Amino acid sequence: MELLRTPPPIRRLPLPDPEPATEVMAPAGAGFSAARRSIGAPQFSIRRMEVDGVSISYGGKRAVRDVSLPIRQGEVLALIGPSGCGKTTLLRSLNRLTELTATARLEGSIRLDDVDVTLIEPTLLRRRVTMVFQQPNPFPMSVFDNVAYVLREQGSRRARRRTLEPAVHSALQRAGLFDEVKDNLRHPALKLSGGQQQRLCIARALAAEPEVLLLDEPCSALDPQSTQVIEDLIVKLRDDVAVVIVTHNLQQAYRIADHVAFMYLGDLVEYGGATALFGSPREQRTREYVSGAFG
Amino acid sequence: MEDQYSPEYGPSWPDRRVERLLGALVVFVVGLLLALIAVVIVRAWPSFAHNGPAWFGPGGSVEDQLNAISLSAATGSHYIYTFHAWPLIWSTILITGGAVLLALFAALFVSVFIVEFAPGWLANVLQPVVRFLASVPSVIYGLIGVVVLVPFIGNHLVSEEQKASVAGVISLTGYSLLAAVTVLTVMIAPLMVSIFSDGLRAVKPGWLEGSLALGVNRWRTVWKIGVRSARPAIVAGTVLALARAIGEAVMLAMISGSVAFAPNPADGLIFIYEPSRPLAPTIVKNIDQLSSPPFNATLFSIAAVLLFAAATASLAGHLARRAMRKYGAA
Repeated sequence: MELLRTPPPIRRLPLPDPEPATEVMAPAGAGFSAARRSIGAPQFSIRRMEVDGVSISYGGKRAVRDVSLPIRQGEVLALIGPSGCGKTTLLRSLNRLTELTATARLEGSIRLDDVDVTLIEPTLLRRRVTMVFQQPNPFPMSVFDNVAYVLREQGSRRARRRTLEPAVHSALQRAGLFDEVKDNLRHPALKLSGGQQQRLCIARALAAEPEVLLLDEPCSALDPQSTQVIEDLIVKLRDDVAVVIVTHNLQQAYRIADHVAFMYLGDLVEYGGATALFGSPREQRTREYVSGAFG
Repeated sequence: MEDQYSPEYGPSWPDRRVERLLGALVVFVVGLLLALIAVVIVRAWPSFAHNGPAWFGPGGSVEDQLNAISLSAATGSHYIYTFHAWPLIWSTILITGGAVLLALFAALFVSVFIVEFAPGWLANVLQPVVRFLASVPSVIYGLIGVVVLVPFIGNHLVSEEQKASVAGVISLTGYSLLAAVTVLTVMIAPLMVSIFSDGLRAVKPGWLEGSLALGVNRWRTVWKIGVRSARPAIVAGTVLALARAIGEAVMLAMISGSVAFAPNPADGLIFIYEPSRPLAPTIVKNIDQLSSPPFNATLFSIAAVLLFAAATASLAGHLARRAMRKYGAA
């Protein structure tokens, strides 16, 4: 098996303009008061990743069992389920971060643009499929250096600050943070507020120009206001990158996701459109979880 | 019993009394330290006063000067203080500087290996071994240096031509800069590894994981995030090792050659085979002269310089750490 060491040209596929937004009310009785934010979802979405019969175990303990899912650019996919259901493990396997755990074993295949991810060199894969973690983890550097870090590591030569500036500014802009920090780019990143730190981490991930963005409960350590800012941001991002978000917040999944996958004890119980899954779940377990019976 | 705790009267040992006791202890310790500094400076003063800045400069033979000081006390008529310590200072700079530099690089790579790359069982073996090495008494390192390293250098590394080329000036026996730097490096490196690896282990796992998740490989991640964040610990360990190296007396008295000679790097690589004597072993070697007033002042002036050097290193390390903590590193 030959590893793909040279990056294939990045497929940045332009999507047609979305349909005009129409407000859809939350399904009655489900207890969701918030209106969906992702209304006006692009009618076109492009399949970028394919999870095919994936099982993951840690030292014999099965964490994920036989999961198959498509991941599309142009939509937000939310993985929901109670704690320990394997959703974070599945997310981490998408850019082979599970391999950092020595005991982890993966069966089945995960493909990015029809290439098995095990054939892609891990550092290259992780630039195309970047990840934002539950706890904001900005590096102990300045705001600028945090975003420039990945650019500097990608470049073969040491780049000057001035040449990196446009890319850093645009990443901060895409993450909706630029206006707040533009005067303080040299300030320590760890002095930012929690929500700003998390958006800085998103900016850092976007600076790598990824094709898929993985978010592992990105709002669980944040206050409601910061959560709202980040949710808006995620919905905006889905046109350029395929977004996969793990969340234990059902309202959040309902607000921002186009497709939702409900996992329970390592199994993929149900996968479907957000409105359908929350409004009329097919499976009994989904119905119970969505209505708050367990979890 | 009156002293027993009872709810009506409150605890018999209230917080305020503990605070006062601890405060008194702190004042006592700080007072001791100030007294120590004052004694050293007062005792050293005659030597500095007589020599002025020339104390630190070169000029004449240190051994002759020490003999003259000792003789002047014996005759009792007129004390001589003339002392030009440059060969001793130069030897201290070469030996501690060389050892700290070598140990810094070695310890950095060893600690990165132990913390980030070694498999768990190996790290579990290496960690206690390193801690033990850091606590081995220096005289043992000195003995091994004398028995193993010095004869090896004298018999195998230094050629007969090299010995002949400096025969009129100094004799190359193996007691040398090379031996001193090597043994001192071995002595202080475990201390540095121990502190560096604590620093590396304290780096937040989220930072390393965040870097890996951005597609930066493991080595670059460890270097740019791990080592960078651990810089305050690296500075702290280096300063501690430097202080220990500056003050190391017994081991260096055993293997440095104990000759007040200033090896000159301009002479070529042969200078690493030349003997010398740093400041601290000079005190040890002449400790029997302490009762003569001019010699006493001379030895205390050496002690004052050592104290000042250690304090400067400590202060510089403190300032460097504060600057590095600006971005919130460990």
